Amino acid sequence: MADTDSVFEFLHMQIVEYIHDVHGKESENNATTKLEEMGFTIGQRLAERFTKETARFKDDLDVMKYICKEFWTALYKKQIDNLRTNHQGVFVLQDNRFRLLTQISDTEEFIVPAAKYLSLPCGLIRGALANLGIPSIVGAEITTMPMCKFTINIQKH
Amino acid sequence: MAVCVAVIAKENHPLFLRTMSPEEELKFHYTVHTSLDVVEEKVSSLTKSSNDPRELYLGLLYPTEDYKVYGYVTNTKIKFVVVVESANNFLRDNEIRMMFQRLHVAYTDMFCNPFYNAGENITSRRFEKVVENMMKQD
Amino acid sequence: MSRQNSARADGKKVSSELFTLTYGALVAQLVKDFESDEAVNKKLDEMGYNIGVRLIEDLIAKGNVGRCHDLRETADIIAKLGFKMFLGVTPVVTKWSTAADEFSLILENNPLAEFVELPSGHENLNYSNILCGVLRGALEMVQMEVEISFVQDALRGDDTTELRVKFIKRLEDAIPAGEE
Repeated sequence: MADTDSVFEFLHMQIVEYIHDVHGKESENNATTKLEEMGFTIGQRLAERFTKETARFKDDLDVMKYICKEFWTALYKKQIDNLRTNHQGVFVLQDNRFRLLTQISDTEEFIVPAAKYLSLPCGLIRGALANLGIPSIVGAEITTMPMCKFTINIQKH
Repeated sequence: MAVCVAVIAKENHPLFLRTMSPEEELKFHYTVHTSLDVVEEKVSSLTKSSNDPRELYLGLLYPTEDYKVYGYVTNTKIKFVVVVESANNFLRDNEIRMMFQRLHVAYTDMFCNPFYNAGENITSRRFEKVVENMMKQD
Repeated sequence: MSRQNSARADGKKVSSELFTLTYGALVAQLVKDFESDEAVNKKLDEMGYNIGVRLIEDLIAKGNVGRCHDLRETADIIAKLGFKMFLGVTPVVTKWSTAADEFSLILENNPLAEFVELPSGHENLNYSNILCGVLRGALEMVQMEVEISFVQDALRGDDTTELRVKFIKRLEDAIPAGEE
């Protein structure tokens, strides 16, 4: 049976729909925040689990590299395709084929609604980093489907 | 084997502490609290040194007349402290290490319970059972 | 120490932990959002239904499911294909009714509930109720109306996790493709 892991994406789509229905009535922002928070708790737990047998981290950069390679691979079975940094606390992680966007149609007009599918993944990254001792703000943008760029802004700590 | 097992949050407040005899709880709270400074020192001096094994297990933190205090720190800065009696000479380093690894697995599973929130006191029955086992075996 | 992670070579695109923990975050959120366990159960069932409808379309489109001739055959496919795909485990099909219109699916271990300890005061929560909805939705798409319920749940201290599936009727050329 090939390529049947649409299950997770279907679940994620249901969650996004539900949160927007229930928490997004007054403002879209509430729904975004809610999804981000959910993602945060998931990220915290995943970081706890996945770093159980990982050597102690040296510094922030060590953690970022870990997120792009091992963590991403453990989650999505692929690495981040490109990591860039301005060496002042901003990191841009590019995934050329982000798993959670592959089920959503890949025409231009879907880019805007597709953005709501990125709140939870952004929260997930923020939660994982926070649990590994790096407070941050995480945003994402889609340039061409299903390519996605996550921008991580590390907060002073 | 262990007479006290403790889990300490990132922010250094206790999440869980179990002692062999309940009367000694206060005493061990103090012991564990004191050991946190040693954990911090050990981690920072190790990280600076070039031959840091980067292991989560930190080994013996310090011995007292009656006890030996061991430490372990996860990548998420959760500290585990295990106290054994000094008289207990049967325990090798490797066994202590394995004890911590079991504790770590139990902690991680507990942390993944969707109804548990980070920083809360640990009340999980499953986790308690693992700790009880660590205190029973000899 | 090695930095190997448990990336499983099972053809799955995302990790089972991500799936389990995301589902957990959903249930925890629903428990906050709704007053009663029954309302949470109902919502999970609805969401499962929507997933089931799409999943079976996927399966059929890929030609992985043929026509079933009787309920036994259907039960077999649910266990070996449906559950395997959704959860990565295969339940045991058993406890057939004499009329052969009811059976149980027994889950030795339930990956959805792997780390879960139910909070007190939620005795009526069917944590994995999404499974009922997924089955209901999927079977409706192949013209079968069924009733599904949890009769045992290891999370609540039962020996095992058991889903009871009851065949109600065949839906003759009905078109229930819409979502709930």
